[in-house]
Amino acid sequence: MSNKGARNLFIFGSIFFFLIFLALTFDTMKQIDARSPEITEAVNEGKQAWHKYDCIGCHTIFGNGSYFAPDLTKVTRDKPAGYLKAFLVNPRKTNPNSAMPVLGITPSEAEKLVAFLDWTSRVDTNGWPPEPVLAAMRKAQTGGIAVYQKHGCASCHIIGGVGGTSGPDLSKAGARHPNPDWHVSHLKNPAGTVQGSAMPAYEHLTDDEMKLLSEYLISLK
Amino acid sequence: MKYESQKIAQNFYTFAVVLFLVQTVVGIIAAIQFIWPDVLILNFNIIRTLHINALVVWLLAGLMGATYYVVPEESQSELWSVPLAHFQFWATVAAVGLVILGYVWMGLNPQANSPIFGINPLSEGREYIEAPRWADWLIALSVILFLVNNVMTMFKTKHWTGIQGTLVGGLVFLTLMYLPGMFYTKSMVKDQFWWWWVIHLWVEGAWEVIAGALLAFMLMKVTNAPRAVLEKWMYIEVGFVLFTGILGTGHHYYWIGTPGYWLWVGGIFSSLEPVPLLLMVWDAFRTTRENRVVSNKLGLFLATAHAIFNFVGAGLWGVIHTLPQVNKWTHGTQITTAHGHLAFYGAYVLLVVAMIYITLPHIRGVTEYNQSRGYRSFWWMTVSMVFIVLTITGAGMVQTYMERLLGLDYVTVKGTYNLWFWIFRVLFGFGFLYGVGLFVLDYFRLGREPVTVASARFAEKAA
Repeated sequence: MSNKGARNLFIFGSIFFFLIFLALTFDTMKQIDARSPEITEAVNEGKQAWHKYDCIGCHTIFGNGSYFAPDLTKVTRDKPAGYLKAFLVNPRKTNPNSAMPVLGITPSEAEKLVAFLDWTSRVDTNGWPPEPVLAAMRKAQTGGIAVYQKHGCASCHIIGGVGGTSGPDLSKAGARHPNPDWHVSHLKNPAGTVQGSAMPAYEHLTDDEMKLLSEYLISLK
Repeated sequence: MKYESQKIAQNFYTFAVVLFLVQTVVGIIAAIQFIWPDVLILNFNIIRTLHINALVVWLLAGLMGATYYVVPEESQSELWSVPLAHFQFWATVAAVGLVILGYVWMGLNPQANSPIFGINPLSEGREYIEAPRWADWLIALSVILFLVNNVMTMFKTKHWTGIQGTLVGGLVFLTLMYLPGMFYTKSMVKDQFWWWWVIHLWVEGAWEVIAGALLAFMLMKVTNAPRAVLEKWMYIEVGFVLFTGILGTGHHYYWIGTPGYWLWVGGIFSSLEPVPLLLMVWDAFRTTRENRVVSNKLGLFLATAHAIFNFVGAGLWGVIHTLPQVNKWTHGTQITTAHGHLAFYGAYVLLVVAMIYITLPHIRGVTEYNQSRGYRSFWWMTVSMVFIVLTITGAGMVQTYMERLLGLDYVTVKGTYNLWFWIFRVLFGFGFLYGVGLFVLDYFRLGREPVTVASARFAEKAA
């Protein structure tokens, strides 16, 4: 190939691929809004707070960011909104294990950030992040473990090394609180039983579920 | 050096070298924060912003310096306007200084970044392009002044060459691809879509085109290889960089809320991205083999090392997690961090370091210089970086397995299972800092100290 031929291949080939890229971009822009929920004023203000506090400087979203703190794409799917709002305003008071600093996020900003994160959690991301293999397997449990799984307790609590770190580790919950009634009243009204708790109330559990779950919890020693 | 105005390159090199040192120091602080988040009054986000912004700025400054050297030489003319180049240099330094002060201020008082007329005054809060909107315009202006100066120089003599044409073409592409990062969108999906136009089309597009042109220039300069052969292969390399790299952007559009066809487009084209990088390695070795006269051994060594680590870091470490089937599990883990470190080191850090060692002796007016410190600095930096990348890769594999596959919590995996990886990374970070320290020292001493007997003998043999 002559030098001129190589040069023309470079120039016209690049333009050709760029035009394809532009066409795909055009098509993608038409489809994006249909793949995401509606953007309300609160969602937009939440996004602005996201940028203001440089959240991406530690976290990732849609898997992109700084890899220093958890990915937040689907955070509202796993964590209760009340917990998230309290956490954003004062992280270490809500969860003593947390490494997140107090940034001065106001309660109203926290509300909007949660609206924004709730928006991202409902975007169609082609199935990302995938459900962990072990978590999918553990669904087939019965008794108290099934109740524990059904209500997503593992999103915030650890048992035997597996689970989230937002709430206390429950691996020895039975040793700490051996009385099943304590667990029932705690599930119905967490803040009334443990002062300052950011856990939401689970009063909607049926009596059977309450019984199974509290028995499971006291068995953990 | 043939033209007096090429000396302006040295200003940019000095700025680049100093920022390289800053980048390394804040990088070590960031690594320590993985183990001990409260070690400093500034939080991790500010330290990381400084780490990656210093990187981008010093590499750009290095590439600008290299361009100010290459364009007059290729055009066979003095630069169009030396005062404009000086103005552009000092304006860039001032703007970058202001942006850095802004980041630190924001670190001390996050509320200071509250919007003024709808614009966050200190940080856009978007990775890599954190510089606030007002600074975006200053940066764009600086790059346009820089381009005007170089293009006018080329027009003065109209002595067109493939190397300078490709170099300036890459720089124009770089400038245009800064623009998609300069508007606000309400949708986070669209935000990330356009953001990748900037980030991906820079590092896997425009910058690689610039690297291809500079590699050809360096090989020609140190081996006296015939221009026609080098330029032909350069066209083929940078051509394939863009044929694969432009649509390869699709590997960032798998999971951000964009249509499913990007899994096919991104998977296929990004898998081919290592091909042109391998071609560059072959090109470097072929040129060395066919043209045995080497005027600057260390320079050729670094240029070849750049080609090799560009292929390993940007190519191999990228391709291992680029298929959607793999990326579904690894996306957003430390595997990406490992790839980022080795890719930037191989593709661009070694490129600028090699350009400095090849052009600086000419700028300082010496034909020979002490090479041993340069080799030592290379080995300290490279061995340390390889081990940094291996520790982060290990951390990423553990994270992928335990968090993504088994479902353990992010915080547990980071705090417990990866702790030793973070500790080793800090230790290798100090090794890297030692290598950078040697390089900075060598930069200021090169050509200004008596040449030792050993280095002189090398130069004699080569001559």
